[in-house]
Amino acid sequence: MSTEIAEYHSIPPARRGLLIASKWLLQAAIVIAVAGLVIWLGLAVREALARKGIQFSFGYLGHVANFSLSEGLVPSFAVGWPALESFSPSHSNLQALFAGLWNSLKVALSAIVLCTMFGTLVGIGRLSTNWLVRNLCFGLVEAIRNTPLLIQIVFWYFAVVLRFPPANAASNWFGGLLASRSGVFFPGLAISERAGAASWGLLALAFVLLVAGVALRGLRLRLILLAAAFSALAAAAVVGFPLGLDLPVATRFGARGGFSVSPEMTALLIAIVVNSSAYVAEIVRGAIEALPKGQWEASASLGLSRSHTLRDIILPQVFRIVLPSLANRYISLTKDTSLGIAIGFPDLFNVYGTVSNQTGRNLEGVVIVMLTYLALSWVISACVNGINARVNGRRAR
Amino acid sequence: MTTLAARWVHRNLFAKPFDAALSLVIIPLLAWAVYAFGHWALVEAHWQVVGGSFKVLLTGIYPADQLWRAWFSVATLCAMFGAGLGLSVRPARAAMVAVASVAILIAAGVAAAIDVRSGLLTAGSAALGIAAWVGAHRSGVDQRIVLSGLLAGVVAIFVVLSPPGFEVWGGLLLSVVLTIAVSILTLPFGILLALGRQSRITSLRVISTAYIETMRSVPLILVVYWIWIIVPLLAPDTSVPGLLRGMAGFALFFAAYVAEYVRSGLQAVPRGQIEAARSLAMSTWTLNVDIVLPQALRVVVPSLVGQILDIFNGATLVFIIGLTDFLRAGQMILADPQNSGRAYEVYVFLFAVYLAIGGAITYASRRLEAHLARGS
Repeated sequence: MSTEIAEYHSIPPARRGLLIASKWLLQAAIVIAVAGLVIWLGLAVREALARKGIQFSFGYLGHVANFSLSEGLVPSFAVGWPALESFSPSHSNLQALFAGLWNSLKVALSAIVLCTMFGTLVGIGRLSTNWLVRNLCFGLVEAIRNTPLLIQIVFWYFAVVLRFPPANAASNWFGGLLASRSGVFFPGLAISERAGAASWGLLALAFVLLVAGVALRGLRLRLILLAAAFSALAAAAVVGFPLGLDLPVATRFGARGGFSVSPEMTALLIAIVVNSSAYVAEIVRGAIEALPKGQWEASASLGLSRSHTLRDIILPQVFRIVLPSLANRYISLTKDTSLGIAIGFPDLFNVYGTVSNQTGRNLEGVVIVMLTYLALSWVISACVNGINARVNGRRAR
Repeated sequence: MTTLAARWVHRNLFAKPFDAALSLVIIPLLAWAVYAFGHWALVEAHWQVVGGSFKVLLTGIYPADQLWRAWFSVATLCAMFGAGLGLSVRPARAAMVAVASVAILIAAGVAAAIDVRSGLLTAGSAALGIAAWVGAHRSGVDQRIVLSGLLAGVVAIFVVLSPPGFEVWGGLLLSVVLTIAVSILTLPFGILLALGRQSRITSLRVISTAYIETMRSVPLILVVYWIWIIVPLLAPDTSVPGLLRGMAGFALFFAAYVAEYVRSGLQAVPRGQIEAARSLAMSTWTLNVDIVLPQALRVVVPSLVGQILDIFNGATLVFIIGLTDFLRAGQMILADPQNSGRAYEVYVFLFAVYLAIGGAITYASRRLEAHLARGS
């Protein structure tokens, strides 16, 4: 009887072949249709550009850029070894795009770190027992999430940063931070010329010991390594410390010294950090609320305070849940840096626009820029997935 | 009463030493901020800069003698919004009183800023919207009729607005019309992409996935700018207006996001539904159109409404293709040296309008979510 059923359900070989063939034909038809569309688009664009006298080639990347950017570093081999130097009009178009990427990354990475910190704080604030804190955080998050990022960027730039005092009368905060309309100046590290090889060696030794102390396991070993690192640091200070603090000063001709951030970058960074913090706050709040209530009740019954519970019980679990959502936020944030063009920040998209305006090469440029953004997205999600696997793998063990 | 208030203050502001400390820091700061903003808004600010540029802010450089077309759009939009509301929200007395009083406030503001005629037209549009709300709810018309009415409304707006040329569209009108058109355009494309990503045909699945993932990895501004550049190269003999090119860019970009929302809805449809339909020998088309999509789309309606807010916020990026949307119109006013000192007034006004519209969309999305959660 079972053979009967099997025979009943089996398809005759001739028809089976036909079915498989039709399936493959369908697949092939779809691939050919889509590939044809893409190739037709590419050819039509190439032809249109050829009519304007522009041939499809990436050769223009090596040509001299002939325009200047307000900021951005490029790799260069001028001194014999790979080094980073400021972009200048004599660099190539490829180096210009690199400077744009450098600027985008500069903003994106700083924003990722800052928005995670502030966003977590605000997310916790939304669940505070204090009515004022809770509702202030709620209002801020809603006001930011319900308005366009672009108006926020434009507001921070034109209505806040450009209204800082001029550089020669810059307001000086906490002795080290200068805020002026030509940029914000932070204290920087300066290398003092008097330092000898001995102090550099001691500093390097202290650094190696510190890294080893953090990376290796075992409490006693760690303590010994950290103590050794501090004594090496102290010895370096005695011999003549090679690094000094370079404080910015406001002079009659502008601010000088320290480590400066352009007004465009200041505004873009503030806008993106504030905006992304609101989204991170929602992610963190959602994750905290998604945890079983029993976690709070159990730690309360053990006599832990609310802040203690939050720090030691809740947040460690929250960070395991939120990592995938955070990765999405980080990718959006990196894409958001492209809005810097509205305030003249030379990010990747802005530089791409300038280069393609100058050379007329939109097709090649967009391929490069698209691939770069794709690569950035992949790198961010790969990093976060790696951390996620590590964190959640440890829990499983 | 005083003891009640004191108890509330104690419980909500000074329950624990840490809360008390926070309250003691925040209350003076907040009081100062409220005072400073209130003093600025009521005493120092020169709101004439906003009132005097209402026409530019709301319609850009749309010809003044053609403004009846803009008014027609406003009335149609109000009616469409009311009818859409009637599908899901019951016109309770309290809600109607709230909407009507907000409308009267706005109409009074418009009357004070421009003239009485404009105020009356605003009030009339709002009344039309409320009538549509009550009408759509009371008459219990079929959803499909309302939805096709909404589509007809969008087409009517386009037909009425276009005679003076797409290049003169501007201001808040441009932002709103662009948002609505793109929201509708993305739906069919996004649904097809989502179905493609779920398809059993490998090549279709790979291509849909590649499209969705690529679009989700690149910035909106890049897509919009590139489509704007590339269309004249593809069609050198016809000149496609910048607005339509921009819409195409927005639609291509946001379709990928719609596809992801729809996919989450498709995954929420129980497998048994599909198996049951297949065992009844339904074709793939009937299965998707009659069984899967109605259930999947129902689940994702709140997300799709939330997506309208993303499109509206993204619409500010049309500055890159030279269009004058609401934000750009505000910046153009500030570009006039006469108004250069009035940046805060203009930005506060823009921010308030964006917040009001965005808040309304978010509220609608949350209401729909609660509505659906109750229904299931």
